[in-house]
Amino acid sequence: MSRVNYRIPLYMVILMNILGFLLIFFSNDFQVNVLYVGLGFMALFILVYTVLILCRMGDKFLIMIVSMLTTISILMLCRIDLEIGVKQIVWIALGCIVFFIAYVFYYKLRFLDKIWLLYALVGTGLFVMTLVLGKEINGSKNWIEIGGMSFQPSEFTKIIYILFLACYYSKSWESSFLKMSPTLITGLVSYAYIGFLALQRDWGTILVMFMIYMFLMYVYESKRRLLGFNILMVIVVGVLGYLTMNHIRVRVNVWLDPWADPSNTGYQITQGLYGIASGGYFGTGLGNGSLQNIPEIQNDFIFSAICVEMGVFGGAAVILLFFLLSYRCFKITINTTNAFNKVVGLGISVMFSLQTFIIIGGVINLIPLTGITVPFVSSGGSSVVASFAALGIMQAISAVEERKGEDYEGE
Amino acid sequence: MKENRRIIKVLIAISFLFVAMLTYLMYFNLFVADDVLDKKLESQQWETKSFQNRGKIYDRKGELVAETVSEGDVTKRAYPYGRLFSHVVGYCVRYKGTYHLEKVYNDELVAGDRNMIFQNVNVQGKDLTLTINADFQQYVYDRLNGKKGAVVALAPKTGEVLAMVSLPDFDPETVGDNMNSQEDFLYARAFNWTYPPGSTFKILTAAAAYENGMQGRIFNDTGGFVKDELKIPNAGGKAYGEISLEDGFRVSSNQVFGEVAYELGPEKMKDIAKRFGLDTTMGGDIQMKMSTVGYKDKKMFDTDCPNVGIGQGEVEVTPLHMAMICATIANDGKMMQPYLVKEVSYDGKSIGKAKAKELRQPITKECADYIGEMMVDVVENGTGTRAQISGITVAGKTGTAENSGEDHAWFVGYAPAENPQIAVAVVLENDGTSGGGAAAPIASRVINEYLENYGIK
Repeated sequence: MSRVNYRIPLYMVILMNILGFLLIFFSNDFQVNVLYVGLGFMALFILVYTVLILCRMGDKFLIMIVSMLTTISILMLCRIDLEIGVKQIVWIALGCIVFFIAYVFYYKLRFLDKIWLLYALVGTGLFVMTLVLGKEINGSKNWIEIGGMSFQPSEFTKIIYILFLACYYSKSWESSFLKMSPTLITGLVSYAYIGFLALQRDWGTILVMFMIYMFLMYVYESKRRLLGFNILMVIVVGVLGYLTMNHIRVRVNVWLDPWADPSNTGYQITQGLYGIASGGYFGTGLGNGSLQNIPEIQNDFIFSAICVEMGVFGGAAVILLFFLLSYRCFKITINTTNAFNKVVGLGISVMFSLQTFIIIGGVINLIPLTGITVPFVSSGGSSVVASFAALGIMQAISAVEERKGEDYEGE
Repeated sequence: MKENRRIIKVLIAISFLFVAMLTYLMYFNLFVADDVLDKKLESQQWETKSFQNRGKIYDRKGELVAETVSEGDVTKRAYPYGRLFSHVVGYCVRYKGTYHLEKVYNDELVAGDRNMIFQNVNVQGKDLTLTINADFQQYVYDRLNGKKGAVVALAPKTGEVLAMVSLPDFDPETVGDNMNSQEDFLYARAFNWTYPPGSTFKILTAAAAYENGMQGRIFNDTGGFVKDELKIPNAGGKAYGEISLEDGFRVSSNQVFGEVAYELGPEKMKDIAKRFGLDTTMGGDIQMKMSTVGYKDKKMFDTDCPNVGIGQGEVEVTPLHMAMICATIANDGKMMQPYLVKEVSYDGKSIGKAKAKELRQPITKECADYIGEMMVDVVENGTGTRAQISGITVAGKTGTAENSGEDHAWFVGYAPAENPQIAVAVVLENDGTSGGGAAAPIASRVINEYLENYGIK
């Protein structure tokens, strides 16, 4: 492996943080708290990065890309509302802990490819829990409240689902169960999950999960007819959904013409587009934009906020960072020799990429808008923690490969 | 490896998605953004202008009830009568929305369409004229005297709303300051709120009895309806002995009407209720909450009928609906659609007048006359004597509705019985008084005031 200077990206993250937090400091009437928050946040990443290097935990770029993304996110959130920003930093700190836990568990545990049944049951359990205890936020019933804190189980179900699929596609599970072949069970569980998500009206997550299923099937399934059948199902279900569900029809119509009803159904998307348009190429500058009209600004529409104040180039930078993250994940996946790790890696790569595409594409009106979170960037505990857990798994996969190489070289 | 080759293809597909996002973002900024900003400016200007030029609302005699005024930089909707019309006209608060008539007639009140605004034509919104006379509304408002409840007065032959007061109410100019849609004063007691109708519902039971040939039937009243576990005592536990159906109506015997409803059975009770408009929508310019017979989740049994027959059980009606039922009796059995806006005008010229619309005829003229006679008897010799007006024959029915709290006092009535001009429904929410004692005097004064000062002589 050729030596890459991994310090340069770290310096860039630090520089971005210093400049950004100084700007917020100036625009927030010189509150010293802002500087402490910034310092704490920087210290967090320097610490994580140092541990990563010292313990030789594999790929050095994943966490760099993610720290750049979270920096942009934190700057934006602190600018919107310092309290939300601080809360988000706490979530990111928790996310980093989960990152290491996921890393250690995934690295050490050797039976993860054997427990498909457990994955299927835990996933179903989370769904049932959501349906029974769930409360509706913004038209989707996919939140559970525990001790005053909302928690969105579907963020974690995605990861469990990827692990479940990996058991099947890595061929470590070939015996039938209750006289049903693994192929059949995989299909049944997939469609059951999609059914549960439809009950919660979580269309964005349905799209992500289904695409993960399709892509894995494309790569691994030897029966090509099965792939064709599933694609046919997507078309049938899509057309039926459009014809029978007003909710979906409204989304599609708004996508085709957001200005048909800008004060009602098109409100979110048009306000978001006004924002992007008003930012221009370089944006108004951090703290100078008018963000108060953009709905859901700290969640689904954070990309619009970034475009307002950091400009279209800022938005493009975010997309490129996700592109890099996606590319890095794919690269690790391709280099992996372990069959189970390969499937998991592919699943997580596809998950990060598609989730980004679905929400950013939705906000810029490239595709119909479905409300999901931007990984690492949207505010909200479940999304951040789940994304970091997935990143931890990816990190472990890269470490397995890297350390194997070192053993071989007899280092 | 076959898998790696395919994974690379997946990566290529995903890369395509990312490139598409970047390209579209650049395309948007180059070619679409300017249009979008224009549209934003347009819609803001349009919104401001349409609010400034929003139509006015007048009462029946042309007094201003709602208009938009500008004081310096502030443009707001002014309501000269304050709370008086809050549950008729509603409100229009910028960025907070519209309510009641301001909402129903928003398309008329809003000035022209976007294109006209940008041709710089200074178009005004259309103006509305109400069926309500503000002085009469004020008189009715004062009679309710701050008590929770509602008074509705209708013109039986046309369905015009002559007065409609709901309490609690709100100040339409300040309601937007801290809006919380859960507040119960935002619901108009007159038409957005349902109550058990109590004995006023015996009008419907009597109509069904008439249709099934029960008029003149003699019952043996022992002080209450009893069937197995079910016991429905008469008010005050009074036993009337041998009593006819008609006298049972006059004294409001629960036993008589319990027995009638029990004999008629669920199908006939539901049928008469449905014909009088329960469980159906009314349309028109008042967004009424639907009155219901209930028994949606479980079947309605014979043993449920006696309670339904006296307006208890799961029966729930709006005061406006009860006024409509009373007006139907007054109008030879024809139910008219109630309406609040008499006329739409533009630039001082009328561009549309409301026409009376018959919703349906639930009962025959003969049946309506039969019930009307009994209602006159109620006011002359029965439970409604406090609704009497000297020189005018008043027809009415009292009701005292049980519920989880204190009783609701009800009175519905119309006058003059020979040529009805006004039909009234009064409900005092959780007043703990009887309909005949507390609601009937209010109805009588409202009717008298109307006939004396506003009626067609």
